[in-house]
Amino acid sequence: MRKILGTALLAAAVAMPVADALAQAAPRNTLVVMREIDAESYDPHRSTARGAGEVVYMMSDTLVSLDWDMRTVRPGLAERWEVSPDGKTYTFHLRRDVTFCDGRPMTADDVVYSIQRWVDPATRSPVRWRAGPIKEIRARDAHTVEYELTEPFGELLYQLTLFFASVIDKNTVERLGQNFGVQGFNGTGPYCWASWTPRQELVLTRHPTYSWGPPIYQNPRPQVERVIWRVIPEANTRLAAIQTGQADVTQYIPEIAVNQLRAVPTVRMSQQPNYFWDHFMGFKVDKPVVNDPAVRRAINLAVNRNAIVQATWFGQAQPADAYLNPNVTGFDPEAGRMVPQYNPDEARRVLDAAGWTPGADGIRVKNGERASFLVYGLQTAVARRYLEAIQADLRRVGIDMRVQLWDATVGWGRLATQEFDAFVMSYPYISATDGFALYFDSRNRPTPNRMNWNDPETDALLQRAKTALSEADRLAAIQAAQRRIASNYVWLPIAREGLWVAAAQRVEGARAHGIYGVGLYKGLDIRLTR
Amino acid sequence: MLRHAVQRLAMAVPVMFGVLLVGFLLMQVVPTDPATVRAGPTATPDVIAAIRADLGLDRPLYEQFGLYLWRLLQGDLGVSIINNVPVTQELGATIGPTLELMVASLFWSIPLGIALGTIAAYWRGSLLDRAITALTVAGGSIPVFFLGLVLIWYVGFKWQLLPFTGRTGPLWTWEGVQGIILPALTLGGVFVGPVARMTRTAVLDVLGADHVRTARAKGLTERRVVTRHGLRNALIPVVTLIGLQIGFLLGGAVVTETVFSWPGVGRLAVGAILSSDFPMAQGTIIVLSMGFIVINLCVDLLYAALDPRIRHA
Repeated sequence: MRKILGTALLAAAVAMPVADALAQAAPRNTLVVMREIDAESYDPHRSTARGAGEVVYMMSDTLVSLDWDMRTVRPGLAERWEVSPDGKTYTFHLRRDVTFCDGRPMTADDVVYSIQRWVDPATRSPVRWRAGPIKEIRARDAHTVEYELTEPFGELLYQLTLFFASVIDKNTVERLGQNFGVQGFNGTGPYCWASWTPRQELVLTRHPTYSWGPPIYQNPRPQVERVIWRVIPEANTRLAAIQTGQADVTQYIPEIAVNQLRAVPTVRMSQQPNYFWDHFMGFKVDKPVVNDPAVRRAINLAVNRNAIVQATWFGQAQPADAYLNPNVTGFDPEAGRMVPQYNPDEARRVLDAAGWTPGADGIRVKNGERASFLVYGLQTAVARRYLEAIQADLRRVGIDMRVQLWDATVGWGRLATQEFDAFVMSYPYISATDGFALYFDSRNRPTPNRMNWNDPETDALLQRAKTALSEADRLAAIQAAQRRIASNYVWLPIAREGLWVAAAQRVEGARAHGIYGVGLYKGLDIRLTR
Repeated sequence: MLRHAVQRLAMAVPVMFGVLLVGFLLMQVVPTDPATVRAGPTATPDVIAAIRADLGLDRPLYEQFGLYLWRLLQGDLGVSIINNVPVTQELGATIGPTLELMVASLFWSIPLGIALGTIAAYWRGSLLDRAITALTVAGGSIPVFFLGLVLIWYVGFKWQLLPFTGRTGPLWTWEGVQGIILPALTLGGVFVGPVARMTRTAVLDVLGADHVRTARAKGLTERRVVTRHGLRNALIPVVTLIGLQIGFLLGGAVVTETVFSWPGVGRLAVGAILSSDFPMAQGTIIVLSMGFIVINLCVDLLYAALDPRIRHA
């Protein structure tokens, strides 16, 4: 309540005109980026947090980069690449002008070392599967890398745009050991590690020789001398700071303030329409009550997504009327139409027809079993708000939803168990195959396939989508997989988050990107006018 | 006086022990496992078990507490789960800013509180007295976070007079002074009311006392009567209150530091708890509790120095 009141107060404040004179502007030639929380580490192979990614993207580079449309793969450290006819070998031709922050030239050996470290079980990267089924990765010469797979993996280039695939300096890793990304970093990115005070700020300085930025930017070189990533936990303080110029950029904007902030003349807002970060509820399809497809369909019909988006995100998210964002590569509109839309009367009819009759307390019963199920989730304000709304919607059609939210530190462990019937989660993805192969492959049970979805047909379709050599075949397979899942109501899609980047008056070129939830990506076009 | 000091110090030991025990037990009951935090979200059970053994979490609670105390006595508060830096090192970096903030808050709020209280007492029943009373009651009733937001809104945002996004430099620089004004106004703002009200009551009592009447009869100026004979004798309860309030100021510092992103112990505590950095959270609890105990000890000693009857009681 206190936070809502405080946010409302500042939301009202944002509507007020701000004087031109910025008495307390951020330091000259230093970009101050505000964020809500810090990351636990900046080692790209160990951390999967968005907070790590947003800094790692500035400190290092990947072989390939991703365009603003979130579909087109562009050159990165590799200026070009070829794929063998059997789809198993990718040959990357590296730029010859790349150096690490310490001045050492980057070679193919560094790429090989970095990818091998990422997939090494000893590194314990939670996302090493993203590197694909590697057979061998080798340096053909100082500037050519051969990336050989045991089978085709059509997602590889997308996966290699993610910060987990960052190229890092072996010497620094070996010198710092477990403290790499904690007490130092050495990458080839546009900015270099200067200092980190955990939970307060991380300071980067311009990489003096950097000139190999991805072609999606107008400038291949960084335009700012220093970047300070400052943790400002209070949303109200962040909002006030961006308007007064005490800080320059942030993507951590409370949804309640987005519209008002758009009207403030001293703030530039940039929105990424192709932002793929969705919230959903997944059902354990082999647990009582939710193992009935009729119940899952009724839940989809009973929940008013529009109202939830208004109540939870103040209208600054999209109701998820399909399993995936329609702008993502591989989206199937037909599968989208198969997701039941809000119709509580129809939900009641579906439950009646399936034999679920209202009990004395209003909760439906079938064969002596109450229509009651337990949902797990991580303890966040957003999850709490939308689960309360869903709970109320379901109660109206006679379904009892019990909610248990966990602190993130224990929640992930709990979510790997079988002690719940459904769960809520949000996740980033870069393609339809990326999202679906992660959650619906039966080999990924019990996590991240927490639904226990075990369907050979889905597995076969996902395998085809991942290994197809032609785009048409890949598309056909992943679209069929979407229809298979949608027709079984395995999820309740809830909402698609929006991404905005707010920039102060003196900042030009701050454009929202959104790869893996990261707002600024490399930020090469960001320039300070004073 | 020395004996009194030793007695008070001895009494502080069991209090500190109690604080350490409660702090330790609190960390045991929160639904978070430090081994899981350190191992990461995808760790296997055997890795978590190995880390539990490394951290000594597989031992009985009393053993863990004993080990914790033993390390503490050696000045070892452990290592942060987040960045592997010794807790003492991070605490050392944050104590300074917290002390700065507290001193800056007291620097303006105590004199103002005493002045307002004295004025209200001297002109008891007047419009001025009522205005001061209303102001101090209102000031004391405003939550710290709200006062902070209001100051950010008006002074920082609307009028753009002062920075509000953290420590802008050392206090001996102009930027540093500018940066501390709003947090100090926020933290000290809740301090003025209680000091003013206590001062008013105490001064009222003293102004009616025989020695003040005698001073007036001797022909001393009103200013001299009030400041030297009135206020000075009224200060004992005020000092006690200030001591107690400084302790509570530590709690206010946690909120103020969070609102203003001030890099002090309070903000470190919040960050450590939110990121489940147990050693760091325990370290901040120890520092904040020790601060509270030391402040109370100082007040006790000061009180005894001001009123000799206390040390003989």
